[in-house]
Amino acid sequence: MSTELDIFLANLSLISLIAIIGVSLYGILARPNIVKKIIALTIFTDAANLLAILVGFRRPPSIPPVLLNLEPRATDIAEFSASAVDPLPQALVLTAVVIGMAVNMLIIFIALQVYRLYGTLDARKIRRLRG
Amino acid sequence: MFDYITIGLTPPLMIAMAFTLPIFTLAIKRKAFYDIYALTATTIALMLTAYNYYLVFYVAKRPIAYPFGGWPPPIGIVYEVDALSAYFGVFIAAVMLMISLYSVWYLRGVSGYEWYYTMLLGLEAGMIGCVYTGDAFNLFVMLEVLSVAAYGLVIFYRMSHEAIEAGIKYSLIGAVATTIYFIALVFIYGSFGTLNMADIAYKSRGGGEFPFSYMVVGNIHLASAIALALSMWAFTFKAAVVPNHFWLPDAHPAAPTPVSAALSGLVVKVGIYAIIRFLYTIYGLDSLHTIANVVSIVMKLLIILGALSALIASALMVVQNDIKRLIAYSTIMHVGLIVISMSIGTKLGIEAALYHTVNHGIGKALLFMSAGVLIRVAGSRNIDEMSGVGRYMPLTSFTLTLAVLSLEGLPPLAGFFSKLLLYEAFIDSGLAIMAVVLVVSSTFALLAYIKLLYGAYFKLPTKELGRVRESWTYLMPLAVLAALLVVLGVCAPIFVDEVLTPTSSELLNPLKYVSAVNEVVKALGG
Repeated sequence: MSTELDIFLANLSLISLIAIIGVSLYGILARPNIVKKIIALTIFTDAANLLAILVGFRRPPSIPPVLLNLEPRATDIAEFSASAVDPLPQALVLTAVVIGMAVNMLIIFIALQVYRLYGTLDARKIRRLRG
Repeated sequence: MFDYITIGLTPPLMIAMAFTLPIFTLAIKRKAFYDIYALTATTIALMLTAYNYYLVFYVAKRPIAYPFGGWPPPIGIVYEVDALSAYFGVFIAAVMLMISLYSVWYLRGVSGYEWYYTMLLGLEAGMIGCVYTGDAFNLFVMLEVLSVAAYGLVIFYRMSHEAIEAGIKYSLIGAVATTIYFIALVFIYGSFGTLNMADIAYKSRGGGEFPFSYMVVGNIHLASAIALALSMWAFTFKAAVVPNHFWLPDAHPAAPTPVSAALSGLVVKVGIYAIIRFLYTIYGLDSLHTIANVVSIVMKLLIILGALSALIASALMVVQNDIKRLIAYSTIMHVGLIVISMSIGTKLGIEAALYHTVNHGIGKALLFMSAGVLIRVAGSRNIDEMSGVGRYMPLTSFTLTLAVLSLEGLPPLAGFFSKLLLYEAFIDSGLAIMAVVLVVSSTFALLAYIKLLYGAYFKLPTKELGRVRESWTYLMPLAVLAALLVVLGVCAPIFVDEVLTPTSSELLNPLKYVSAVNEVVKALGG
């Protein structure tokens, strides 16, 4: 494959991810419905996770990030790092996904409680506190 | 080197103690058990952090790094305690011990104490993890541990409209803030190829190869600028600097009183700690030229935002009628002053900021907890309706007044000396206008405090309460915190020489921070 196509695809995914982040931030800040805010929040965290995956991405053909040689030489390591997918961003994303689930569950519970107490999920009508 | 096991032991032990607590709820219902459990856990935390402080300041006299699982950094996670971390760790653990002691009294007749203590201990574990970690991604994890505990504590009264409304605001935007920090980490990892703080610090200063992560892989100049901008947004949210302060005046008053003390006194300080770490250790004015430019722009912006925080919050303090809301605005004002001082970039500025951090934390915890006692007796948080309830409780009123006077800055209390140091730092660096900001905001705050004291104490009581017995369970933590304020004030010169000077000089020499990790790498055969 040509390198121009690589660069084009990388730029395309980067730009679309930034666009998704922008849209989801708009959803969190501007949409009045709390459930829609939560949906936008999950889109936002997913976009951030995809960004992390993109950093460690390698175009196929890539090899699994396992070093088969027990006593690697310098050339082995260079070849390995040139063709293997970087596993660290995936580990980061796994952690972030689990944390995000916990936070989302808590926020969904708070939203449920908002509905029980106020009878609405419209953020504009939930305004007892001022200042 | 691996004798320093307490460095690595403290945060995981705290997390384990916090999150095994729910298991006991299956068998034990007595409140006394949970009280003793929480007190034991916070006491152990104080002992461990104090021991770590002793290790860093007197035994090693340099930062100590602890690699988890024997993995050499930057492959494995490393916890690194330098003077700044040790200082914040002791401060957090000491105030948390007093807060859990006060909770014993506060939680009488409140159901759900087992979950309360779980989250309180989780909050402490998150805070100590945040200040001890030497890994930028681990900072994100600990920040989330802290945040989830804080959201849970804010909505502790889940049938209260106020708490739920504050909670949804705080948690939604808080989740956005931590995710933005995650995006900043992605940029850092994509360019530096590492998430170890010491490694990033070395590379951002133009250091050559660091063992294991051999080189930078991308354009670190652009990525550092983006990462700094994004992470500063997240940390100023945590620290409640204008314009990211909007959640604080809702969330802090809605929480139970001891939690308000913890959130106002300690949690915002973790944001301050993270900003200091990013602006002085990870990046800094001695970084590569382009990064140093960005750092100095960020510092100038933070000075302006801090001044705005101090002025806006002190003006809004005066118009509040809710006593807890008034105290919450005072937090924003003091954080503004601390942010100005630490963004100047001089040694004196850092010392003043660190000193004021501790004095404000102790004073604010004392003020919130004393006010909480008065609120409980008066049955109202409205200052006008409290109407002199303090007259029936002379000891509580005394600690309330002491806290107010320290925050306002009256000698010989601690607040006076830290405000004096702030003033000197502003004048010393030619920012006379910031000294004016300090004086003006203190004047506004004085008006608000007079209103508070008048409502709580001087106003004639409208209803007869008879004799109110003051319980020693809440007087004990209040007395300890009040004594700390006096001691920190009287011993100000010793404190500055013994604690603040080594801390700030170590902070301004980030290569020491790097070399501690480098030694670990060498010892592990990296």
